[in-house]
Amino acid sequence: MNPSRFKGIYEQRKKDRMKLFTVNLVPGKKVYEERLVKEDGKEFREWDPKRSKLAASILNGISQIGIKETDVILYLGSSTGTTCSHVSDIVARQGFVFALDFAPRVVRELAFLCEDRTNMAPILANAASPKEYSHRISQVDYVYQDIAQKNQAEIFLKNCRLFLKKGGFAFIAVKARSIDVTKKPSVVFKEVRAKLEKELVIVDSRDIAPYQLDHMVFLCKKR
Amino acid sequence: MYIFKNILGSFVFDDQFRLVEKGAEKDLHKKHNDLKEPSEEALFEVLLAFKEHRFFDEFHDKNLTITKKAIKESAKGDILIIQTIKNIEDIDKINSTLIKDLREWYEIYNPEFSRSISNNERFAELIVSKSKHELLKEIGADETHTMGADLSKEDVDAIKNLAKRLNEMLVFKKEQEEYLGTLMKKECPNIIEMTGVLIGAKMIEHAGSLKRLTEMPASTIQLLGAEKALFRHMKTGARSPKYGLLFQHPLISRIGKDQHGRAARALADKISLASKIDYFKGEFIGDKLRKEVEDKFI
Repeated sequence: MNPSRFKGIYEQRKKDRMKLFTVNLVPGKKVYEERLVKEDGKEFREWDPKRSKLAASILNGISQIGIKETDVILYLGSSTGTTCSHVSDIVARQGFVFALDFAPRVVRELAFLCEDRTNMAPILANAASPKEYSHRISQVDYVYQDIAQKNQAEIFLKNCRLFLKKGGFAFIAVKARSIDVTKKPSVVFKEVRAKLEKELVIVDSRDIAPYQLDHMVFLCKKR
Repeated sequence: MYIFKNILGSFVFDDQFRLVEKGAEKDLHKKHNDLKEPSEEALFEVLLAFKEHRFFDEFHDKNLTITKKAIKESAKGDILIIQTIKNIEDIDKINSTLIKDLREWYEIYNPEFSRSISNNERFAELIVSKSKHELLKEIGADETHTMGADLSKEDVDAIKNLAKRLNEMLVFKKEQEEYLGTLMKKECPNIIEMTGVLIGAKMIEHAGSLKRLTEMPASTIQLLGAEKALFRHMKTGARSPKYGLLFQHPLISRIGKDQHGRAARALADKISLASKIDYFKGEFIGDKLRKEVEDKFI
């Protein structure tokens, strides 16, 4: 197990593949049936790139992810907490994650997860209405968004405007089909890029094939 | 000076957005004159004050409590409708598989009788209640020239056991459908009048919730269930579909093919209305709506 370029993230090369890991904040407990590996007195959780777009972008060579160990993070679209749990591992006891999703069924799973992980707070709310949860969070160092909605770019910019600190990083996973199923993905991504560039600086972007098809991630920075 | 209330309490900020004090809202207003609530730009600055490690535990605990309560209260009637119709669809799939098993298995023993009866429910009942000899006599088959094997009592009992369980499953399905009917009469009487129990429940399931169904235009409701054909039409220009789930509607089967499209559209319009009335708990006019559509076509 070797540390990767990113703090809090570790890697192991198995044959021709690279596997990513984070240090388990709650040793002994799995979040989604991931593999647990013990080494050097620490327990590592295997990070599946097929289920986590952040892991997929790292494996596809993204230059930065922008997450620091002390970061307070707003996570929009946490679902049942798969990727969220790894972000929680990375910021560990120094940082914090506000985990938001709209569907009660998945937030229920998230609530169970947050019982164990005290650096995560579950919020059942609509990311498109940020004023409805502005009394439940603080300003944040980082925004992560993975929401399959037609207006996902607008939702992202709204939340960054209201909550992201100046100079803070923001990561958005864009699903072309959610925005417009009839357009070619490359066209959709171009349009999203143009929308994002009006307010944010795009630091890097990646196609995350083969882990997800017709998906692109953008790492942005607030001016 | 600003006053800001969040889940951690009430706080006073000065004009440079520095945190001055925390306290009870009334007390703070008494102590400081002219406290304003922050504007959107001011809110951005105010929230910075809460990005501190000392607040993490409280943000965690308070949000967890609020969220748990919200999840508890999110269980509304349509969630039960969706669970029930999902279950009914699953029971149906299971029964299809079981009936296939039963037919194949029984036909080793008495193929002539199995082929004589197409109704699965009666088939499963009869082979349990009557003997092979009785059944063959009833269909007038010559017992000496049948292709069915002679099986031991144990072997026949094993087949009958499956038949008994299948009967129970068929009854179970009916019971769930009855329960679904009662549920829907309570939650969405207008929809059920327009579509009947199964189609109505499948529409709510497809939409994800009753609320989502009310937010859909009638054209979407018309095509719920025809997504494959719809996207094919949108992407390749193939002809547009006329209906999805509505294909099963009794009105559609009663009228000529040339009217199907118009009827599906008319039904969808009324269903859209009905769903809104049901969601906002208005009065029952489902029967009037249904009559309006039926009068147009029948």
